[in-house]
Formats: sequence, C-alpha cells, structure tokens
Amino acid sequence: MQQKVSHRTHPAPLSPRLSIYRWHIPMIASIAHRASGAVLVMFVPFYLWVLHGMTGSPEDFDQALLFLHSPLCRVTLWMAAVAFIYHFCNGIRFLTLDAGWCESKQMMRLSAYIVLLIAMLSALAFGWLLW
Amino acid sequence: MIRKDTGTAHNGLKDWYWQRLSAVVLLVMLPLPFFLLIAVYSGAFNQFDLLDILDHFVSRLLHTLLILAIIVHAYIGLKVIFEDYVHSTLLRVPLIGSMLVVTSGFGIWWLAIIWAWGG
Repeated sequence: MQQKVSHRTHPAPLSPRLSIYRWHIPMIASIAHRASGAVLVMFVPFYLWVLHGMTGSPEDFDQALLFLHSPLCRVTLWMAAVAFIYHFCNGIRFLTLDAGWCESKQMMRLSAYIVLLIAMLSALAFGWLLW
Repeated sequence: MIRKDTGTAHNGLKDWYWQRLSAVVLLVMLPLPFFLLIAVYSGAFNQFDLLDILDHFVSRLLHTLLILAIIVHAYIGLKVIFEDYVHSTLLRVPLIGSMLVVTSGFGIWWLAIIWAWGG
C-alpha cells in the first residue's frame, strides 16, 4: 500500500540525501570536491603556522624545515597536496560547467573521470616526491 | 512554497556568486604559495630567499588578497556543507555562527602576521 505523504508530517528534506541517490561518477566527483575542500580548510592554519615559523629566527626556520620532513608531516603534506590538486582541477571543471561548457551527460562523466585520474596520478607523483 | 528551516540558505545566488568569485581569485593565486612551499621543502630556497619574497610589499598585498579569498571561499563552502548535512537546527545554527567567528578571527590573526614579519 502506498502511503500518502503529507508535507505537514514530512517537512521538505534538506538536500542532498546521500542514502537515496544512486552513486555515479559526477556525483562522486562532487562529493570528493567537498571532502577535499574540508581537508584543505584544515591545512590553512597549518600553512600559516609553518610560514610563521619560517619567517622567525634562523633556528625557527631550521626547526620548521626539520618538522616538514618528519614522517607525520610528509603524510599531512601528501594529503593536502592531493586534495589541493583535486580541488583545483575539479574547481576548474565546475567553473566551466557554470559557464555553460561541456554540460552534456557524457562530457560531465568524461571530465569527472579526467579530474579523478589527474588526482590519482598526482597522488602517485607526490608520494614519489615526498618519500 | 517550501518553508525553509532556520539557518539554511534562503537565497543561494549570493553564496554561489561569492563562491565563484573567490574561486577565480584562488585559481590565479594559489599556485604561488604552492610552488613556494615546494621550493622551500626541497631546499631550493633558503630562509633568505623566502624572506626576500615574503617581505616584499607586493607579496604582502597578494597574501592579504589570498587570505580574504580563502576566508570567503572556506566560510561559504563549510556553510553549504553544514546546511546540507546537519539536519538539526539546534546544532546547525551555532555551528555556522561559531564557524563565522573562528574564520574571521583567524583571518585577522593572519593579516597581523603577514604585515608584521620582517619589520
């Protein structure tokens, strides 16, 4: 039996409901944009803190540089770099979509694949650079 | 008409516009600190090279513009995420409010540091 949905008992849902949507590549690209953005927000204080150390005394600079090369920091830098590359490329993708270019379903899927591929390649490249 | 809950966007156009505007600014500017960080990390730049760049008036100006764009971009981005996924009004409103305080306070702190270093 189909239930009658009343708007009084069911207020308009706040979008997006991840549990309802079917997972597909452009949607994954969109969610990854948010996730990488959240990672990058946390990197901003880190960047300032490192820069603050590096503009201090020569000892501060050496210490900051030593800290950057510590294993834990390398992982942090790797995550931030990959998130940055992804957010940057997908941001360009979003801007082109907003400009009305490449809006067809196929093009959106293709560009999402390309951006995710670039992110994966950058993950490998940064992994290689940082170790 | 859909009644919007408290602490959700009533008009998304402004958010959308500022998010794009700050995105374009960041698109142009962010590669600079990115490569600067790589140069310092790899040892290609020592502290003098770094300070030479950061002390310059133009860099301070660019850094100021950068932090303003980052604050706008990060605040709207996080706000939209909270609006979408935090469904409890009692949780969402203080969350967005405190985020505004933290991001703007952080921005002021950063500006103070940018204009203070090197003297």
